[in-house]
Amino acid sequence: MNLIDIYIAEVGKHLPAKHKNDLLDEIHSALQDMLEDRSQQSGRQIDDDLMIEVLQEYGSPEKVAASYLPERYLIGPRLFPAFLKIVQIVIPIVAVLAVIGLGLSLSRTSLNPYAWIETVIQAFAEFFSAAATSLGFIVLIFAILEWVMPTLKEKTWAWDPRSLRKISPPDRVAMSGPITAIIFTLAAAVIFNFYPQVIGIGYISSGDITSGKWIALPLLSEAFFRYLPMLNLLWVLQIILSIILLRRGQWQPWTRWTALVVNALGIGLAYAMLTGPALVGLTAGELSAVSPLQPNTADFLVRLMNQGVRLALIIAIVSGIIDMVKISIRLFGKKPPLVFIRE
Amino acid sequence: MANNELYLNIILELRRGVIVLAVLSQLDREQYGYSLLKLLSDQGLVVDQGTLYPLLRRLESQGLLESSWRIEEARPRRYYVISPQGRQTLSKLKEEWESIVVVVAKMLK
Repeated sequence: MNLIDIYIAEVGKHLPAKHKNDLLDEIHSALQDMLEDRSQQSGRQIDDDLMIEVLQEYGSPEKVAASYLPERYLIGPRLFPAFLKIVQIVIPIVAVLAVIGLGLSLSRTSLNPYAWIETVIQAFAEFFSAAATSLGFIVLIFAILEWVMPTLKEKTWAWDPRSLRKISPPDRVAMSGPITAIIFTLAAAVIFNFYPQVIGIGYISSGDITSGKWIALPLLSEAFFRYLPMLNLLWVLQIILSIILLRRGQWQPWTRWTALVVNALGIGLAYAMLTGPALVGLTAGELSAVSPLQPNTADFLVRLMNQGVRLALIIAIVSGIIDMVKISIRLFGKKPPLVFIRE
Repeated sequence: MANNELYLNIILELRRGVIVLAVLSQLDREQYGYSLLKLLSDQGLVVDQGTLYPLLRRLESQGLLESSWRIEEARPRRYYVISPQGRQTLSKLKEEWESIVVVVAKMLK
């Protein structure tokens, strides 16, 4: 195997399977032509030295292979600003949650400074792990969007500057809105369907991280899981609507109607959950039986959790109603004057 | 040094714009990659191999060139020739080029 053959095999490693052999045959043929030409011009034999000269001029295998490939992105320039925006929202949230978690852990840790240091180190490790997982999750969603969304080229062909006049600002969809909705909806769907046990109370039995036993008490009741099929339906609808809004880039009457229906379903479901059986399955008795908490502290904690869930549902209902009012105004209200948008 | 690099990049960009026109104009008769490279270079247009071969592929995928493998001098070579669609494109490109030359020449006076 001479140097040219090794070079060709190396180029092949960086080319996709499609047309690979054909491309390699052509590169091989081009190198042979070059070698013969140089040999004739200089009167030298075709040997390793001449091959090295020719290959050096032809370029590194990676560079040659890259010249045949289109530019590829995991997250392209059109989605990158939205990606950055989402990361700037999510990472601080993860950081705040980590700080809250650290505070709770420290409050349960003995006054031993070593235990405190261990707790802080563990909190840092958990923060980096959670931040990396969140980042990976966001990258995955954006990579899928990059692949699913129509290419910029197609959009450029279809785009007509006159269409700007038809889109008044309220009809424009800011990319970050639907993307945030997709990310948080997917995260909720994954957690509630596959990891419901993470929603609960966790603590170390003896207060010492190294010797203590980690105890986790799931929070959600069976009643909650009866609502899960409806919640899943709602989340799927929300994700589909967000993808449609991303692809179209503007609100249309039928997408507004769909959003109204999704919101109404959400409000109905939240109301049913609010007035139905308790969603927190953990009782004060259970909590005080398996934890060092006093019965009255356990009772206070459980009541706090129940009130917290109720408050979250009330907030969901109120924000749903506000959204419905906003959408209805856009649907039935007087149309705003058409404006020419400058970007 | 930086200025020289900038100058070379601008020259490269300027040339890149006319390579398609030059390649199409020389493929009335079929040529294989290296013979086309020499043909262009003999006429004063030096094109990098890393630019020419992928460009030939791209023009073929766009329907402007046709290609076929042939064994010559005991070695297979891929020959390229302009397609009917390529001829139409070349004639439009020539008109565009002539108009650019006139306009830019006027500007540079």
